[in-house]
Amino acid sequence: MSAESTTPVIAPALRLEGLYAGYGRFDVLHDIALHVERGEAVALLGPNGAGKTTLLRAIMGMVKQRRGVIEVAGTDVSRLPTHRIARGLVGIVPEGRRLFLGQSVEDNLRLGGLHLRHDHARTAQLLRSVFDLFPVVERYRARPATALSGGEQQMVAIGRMMMSDPELMLLDEPSLGLAPLAIQSMADALLALRERGRSILLVEQRVDLALQVCDRIYVLSGGRIVEQGAADDIDGRGRALIDAYLG
Amino acid sequence: MLLQVLLSGLAIGAVYGLMAMAFAIVFYVTRVINFATGQLLMVSIMITAALSRAGLPDIVSVVVGVLASTVAGVLIYLLAVRPVLRFDRFSFAWLVSTLGVAIVLQSLAAIIWGPTSRGFPALLNRDNLHIGGAGISVQELLTIIVAIVVLVGFELVRRRTLFGKLGQAISADPEMASAIGARVTGFAIAAFAIGGLLAGVAGILVGPITFSNPYLGDTYGIFGFIALMIGGIERPAAAMGAGSCSASCPSVRTRSSARRRPTGSRSSSSWPCC
Ligand SMILES: Nc1ncnc2c1ncn2[C@@H]1O[C@H](COP(=O)(O)OP(=O)(O)O)[C@@H](O)[C@H]1O
Ligand SMILES: [Mg+2]
Repeated sequence: MSAESTTPVIAPALRLEGLYAGYGRFDVLHDIALHVERGEAVALLGPNGAGKTTLLRAIMGMVKQRRGVIEVAGTDVSRLPTHRIARGLVGIVPEGRRLFLGQSVEDNLRLGGLHLRHDHARTAQLLRSVFDLFPVVERYRARPATALSGGEQQMVAIGRMMMSDPELMLLDEPSLGLAPLAIQSMADALLALRERGRSILLVEQRVDLALQVCDRIYVLSGGRIVEQGAADDIDGRGRALIDAYLG
Repeated sequence: MLLQVLLSGLAIGAVYGLMAMAFAIVFYVTRVINFATGQLLMVSIMITAALSRAGLPDIVSVVVGVLASTVAGVLIYLLAVRPVLRFDRFSFAWLVSTLGVAIVLQSLAAIIWGPTSRGFPALLNRDNLHIGGAGISVQELLTIIVAIVVLVGFELVRRRTLFGKLGQAISADPEMASAIGARVTGFAIAAFAIGGLLAGVAGILVGPITFSNPYLGDTYGIFGFIALMIGGIERPAAAMGAGSCSASCPSVRTRSSARRRPTGSRSSSSWPCC
């Protein structure tokens, strides 16, 4: 699917247009244009300090956007507080997971579905879908989150995000610090999510993982989008270009 | 004799415990120490005493007094804490602003009601019970019961309900909590309201055995704060336990501490006041 040329009939899962955002008085992101269609998995690659995390935080309303458009599923979220964005629009697996470590695996998941807490049937169904994707998580549901390995904690973080049933899923370097085996099962989980029709924006440093999971990629460097394209168009030359950007 | 000391100690300790809890719940959710907590106790005492002098029934005076300190708690958050946290989430400016509120409240009370001590309605302090040769007033017994109910209630909510778990999540990582849909500001307002409510209730409970005085917030504020420090700032329940022990232990402690020094840092030796 060449998403650039078609005008979507339904609003894309994410549309960023002319976005400037940053901390204090300094912009980290400059003139960002990016979109994720419904059911599409998009990778955001780039070197350390490029602004990838800042971009995800801006979508969540955690970093003040100075200028530009942030639309999620047709809703302008640029003026919404984070907790409103989190209620069914955007779910995030943040950098470093940030599980609620003092609490059990199941409580972490239930907290993820906070805005659906009165809809018991829906919560049960979402919990079921998390457990279907990650049988290990079901086995460890009563354990404290701290008792799990890094890979298992990452599954819980993804599950927590799934529990809010969001229009758009953001993942910030989910493979970071995981063993090779855990990385592969994480990639499988992301592919399964894509198969289920979820819209995903994946921040990654590992190009192979990004190309395996995603339909399209963007490369961010110095706070600007410097490359973009379909994942299967990335030939040897494009690959070399990306590697150059990633250092 | 020992029982008598323990019972009276427990009652006053329960008041310190409630004050510690008032500090702790606010800190637990917002990471702010509300240094005007003692003055919230004073607000409920002064207003209850004034209304009672004006001839209102005790029950009305008490309810209005407690409501006043609850509302004052919320106002402290909205006027003195939120603005400075907005400016810089990690600054300690709340330290200055809540201390400032404490002084303002104290001075206002002194201007309105005068700086001298006045009476407080006896409430349930007239009736006495006898337990194994020791006497305790109904008021004191009520104080102990209220402290226990608050403690158990808090722990039940914290551990058993999604609401309580969300409170823990907010305490651990407020930004992540908002990223799962938690209204962190709403929780902060609720925490300051509960803090004001507990301080107000503590005021009503201790009022009959003290008097109404604009400066008595300091004393109870400091005791509550010390109990919080001993119990551990992360654990409201322990803070409350420390408050209760601190007042009921001194007579026992003087005997036992000579024999056995606790190994932990949480010894009771830091009590200058008992
Ligand atoms: N909280 C912050 N305050 C100020 N500057 C920040 C903050 N977080 C990140 N930055 C700066 O923003 C830039 C982009 O950071 P980040 O988005 O974390 O990059 P990436 O995730 O691509 O590694 C960096 O130059 C970093 O120094
Ligand atoms: Mg990053």
